[in-house]
Amino acid sequence: MVWAIIAVGIISNINLMLLAKWFASPYSGKGYAGFVELFGERKVRLFSFIGMLFIFVKITVITLGYTEIIHQFVLPSIQREWLLAFLFAVGCYLAVKGMEKTIRFIFIAYLCSFWLILLYIPFFLPPIASIHDLYPIISMERDDGIWQGMLLIWASLSGPEYLICIGAWFSPRDKLLRPMAIGNALTIVEYLALFIASTLYFGPEYLRKSSYPVINMVRYLQSPIFERLDIMMICIHIFHYVFAIALLILLFYGSLRIIAGKAMKPASRSGFIASFMVLFLCMLIVYHWFWKSGTQGHFWPVLQVCFAAVSFLAVPAFMIAAVRIKGRA
Amino acid sequence: MVWNKVTNVLDRGNEDSPEKDEIPLTMDALRQILVNMSDAEVIERTALDERTITLLYIKTLIDLERLNESVIGPLSVLSDNTVCECITASSISEVTGQQKAKLLLMQGSVLVHDDRIDRWWAVSLPSSLGRSIESSDTETIILGPKDSFSEKIDENITLIRRRLPTPDLKTEQFSVGSLSKTTIVIMYMEGITNPKHVAIAREKIEAIDYDMILEASHLGFFMEDHVHSVFPQFMQTDRPDASAYYLGTGKLVIMVGGTPFVLIAPMTFFHLFHSPEDYINRWLVASFLRLVRYLSFMLSITLIPLYVALTTHHYQMVPLQILFVLLDSRSKLPFTPFWEACCMLITLEIMKEASLRMPAKSGQTLGVIGGIVIGQAAVEAGFASKVLIVLVGISAIASFLVPNYMITKANTMVQFALLILASYLGLLGVVLGIILLLIHLNGLSSLKQPYFAPVAPFFWRDWKDLFIRAPLPSLRSRPLFLNPLKKWICAAYAPVSGSSQYGLGHHRRWHYIQH
Repeated sequence: MVWAIIAVGIISNINLMLLAKWFASPYSGKGYAGFVELFGERKVRLFSFIGMLFIFVKITVITLGYTEIIHQFVLPSIQREWLLAFLFAVGCYLAVKGMEKTIRFIFIAYLCSFWLILLYIPFFLPPIASIHDLYPIISMERDDGIWQGMLLIWASLSGPEYLICIGAWFSPRDKLLRPMAIGNALTIVEYLALFIASTLYFGPEYLRKSSYPVINMVRYLQSPIFERLDIMMICIHIFHYVFAIALLILLFYGSLRIIAGKAMKPASRSGFIASFMVLFLCMLIVYHWFWKSGTQGHFWPVLQVCFAAVSFLAVPAFMIAAVRIKGRA
Repeated sequence: MVWNKVTNVLDRGNEDSPEKDEIPLTMDALRQILVNMSDAEVIERTALDERTITLLYIKTLIDLERLNESVIGPLSVLSDNTVCECITASSISEVTGQQKAKLLLMQGSVLVHDDRIDRWWAVSLPSSLGRSIESSDTETIILGPKDSFSEKIDENITLIRRRLPTPDLKTEQFSVGSLSKTTIVIMYMEGITNPKHVAIAREKIEAIDYDMILEASHLGFFMEDHVHSVFPQFMQTDRPDASAYYLGTGKLVIMVGGTPFVLIAPMTFFHLFHSPEDYINRWLVASFLRLVRYLSFMLSITLIPLYVALTTHHYQMVPLQILFVLLDSRSKLPFTPFWEACCMLITLEIMKEASLRMPAKSGQTLGVIGGIVIGQAAVEAGFASKVLIVLVGISAIASFLVPNYMITKANTMVQFALLILASYLGLLGVVLGIILLLIHLNGLSSLKQPYFAPVAPFFWRDWKDLFIRAPLPSLRSRPLFLNPLKKWICAAYAPVSGSSQYGLGHHRRWHYIQH
């Protein structure tokens, strides 16, 4: 699995190179006008509609999943709907500040949470740890689990494809490949570290039986001042959640405006609040009808993984192909 | 010999400009203005050549000794020459309009009228009443210069000019407030400060439409980009050394007449944690102290909310030995942790306010009441736990470590907000509150410049003087978030002629190496 993570990471980096080529094209910096120039207004509306569905599924699964984790591990006494409302409201507060300030917030989110990875160091050194637990490094056996795992990692590395929607906020001089590649590499290192730590800590056999292995692992962390550091760690992950949700909410609002044919008009606060309310209501509906009962199993998370994997695979290549075709024409 | 005054100080925002001042100045009109003013005096003298010279002034606003020396004395021997030639005061100008005359009269000028030629002159003789230069009470430092600004704006400009003796230090003067006629002076370094900042400040001052601006804070309220924030968007200081330093880095200093505090902008949130002493101490010591200040700010806003979150929602996070102490301490309390903390914090705020308003001699009484009655007695009466008293004490002391007084008030507001969130959502509430705070700070700006720079937006070069203070020789560039016209502090780093100031890469480095 170690090499699987690295292999997926390398392939994702190739995808990022395609994405960087798109950003180097003259269309990316023009924003909506660039897309219209490339595809025509009708097609852009169609793509916006498809993108909006992808974004909605992503927002819903991230929010409901994170709410579930918080409810289970941090605050079991509070109603989930309230948790959902609080978390979503904070994301909206950031989004309402606008795209520029939302993009800036990533530095704050990173600074406030990068050190969490250091807390995993003790898991690399448990007394029962054995290097053999990591074997086989390259599995020769036919194992469906590994393909599912690779799909999951691929989907986890997705997200940069949404940057095409905010190309107008980047300067044409910005060389985005380097920061994107560094970010991707850091993510791969983090996944590797988490995978190795949880394998060494639980052993490969027990690891298969755990539904939230990383969270269950950090439940054993303690310090002289605080026990149960997992509660703190789960809470601090909200920084990433808030950033991601704010960005996605803005993209959702943007796609709604394109579908409604108001992309060239200035954004309005009332329009934004309306789209936020629609999004929140839809999420509540999904929660009450499809998520809460648990009868749907992992339908929504699996749907989100598939959507993320497809979008990350298809969008960069599609955009480059569109630029090439337009260039020939 | 007549000295004609040539001024490079721009008179802006003055409603009494000559264009508007079209009402001619007459003796009757002036006498009418001075009716019911017991400190106004009108003196008429007949000169040797039989002409009548009239002096009008407000005796409480002028320097009477200088009036005798430079106006009355010379005028008593006036013969054929004009009044203007005779008066020995350095600042004399002719007045034609009534509005201008009124303004000058109220600013400490003596109006002189010559009936033969029917002309008016204003001789500026303002009283030098005011305190002398003293050391700062609000920003005390152990080492370093001890002088501080006073209420006299000219003296304050002198204190800065002595530190930056360069003609690039520019001053622009404004008059604001239809009643107070407050003098406002913008200071900046030409060739360093980005002209956009100056233009924004100028625009904001000119847009002020208010009767009275009596304080630097008043001016700040009108110039701030975000009025509803609890965080100050202008730094206030009464230290000339700090002002000179910030001018040198490309910021603006805005002086307000009648107050010893100046406004400094554009500023960032992180400037609130910087002290002039940071640049006096050894860099390691200064860096450590700066980190302690950041830590103490975090402690002051989160310590009590964390206590409430842990004792209300997350008992399992407290180690067993500490849990025994907590349980023992809280077992007989009638209040929930939230109300217990609320009561103690409100009591603390009352004591803080009382200590500011009480006479100095009563301070000891307050200490006794605060320390013994409210601390010990509250525990013995069963209103508060011992642990909370300790935490409140630490939190209160930590809040005073921040050098800027304005932020200690913001601390309290943030602390109460976090307390409410902690009581409902536990640790999640504290983290959500901090995120909301950071989003708010990220959204603020000072003179349209990002308030949370150089973290967001990210300027890594500026990090040398952010959480730590790197050795001064390595602080070679001015803050990049200010977009200064001259980026480099060291002359050796200045770009070679013809190359761009902002050009990155090898040329600058090579130029430096060659030097």
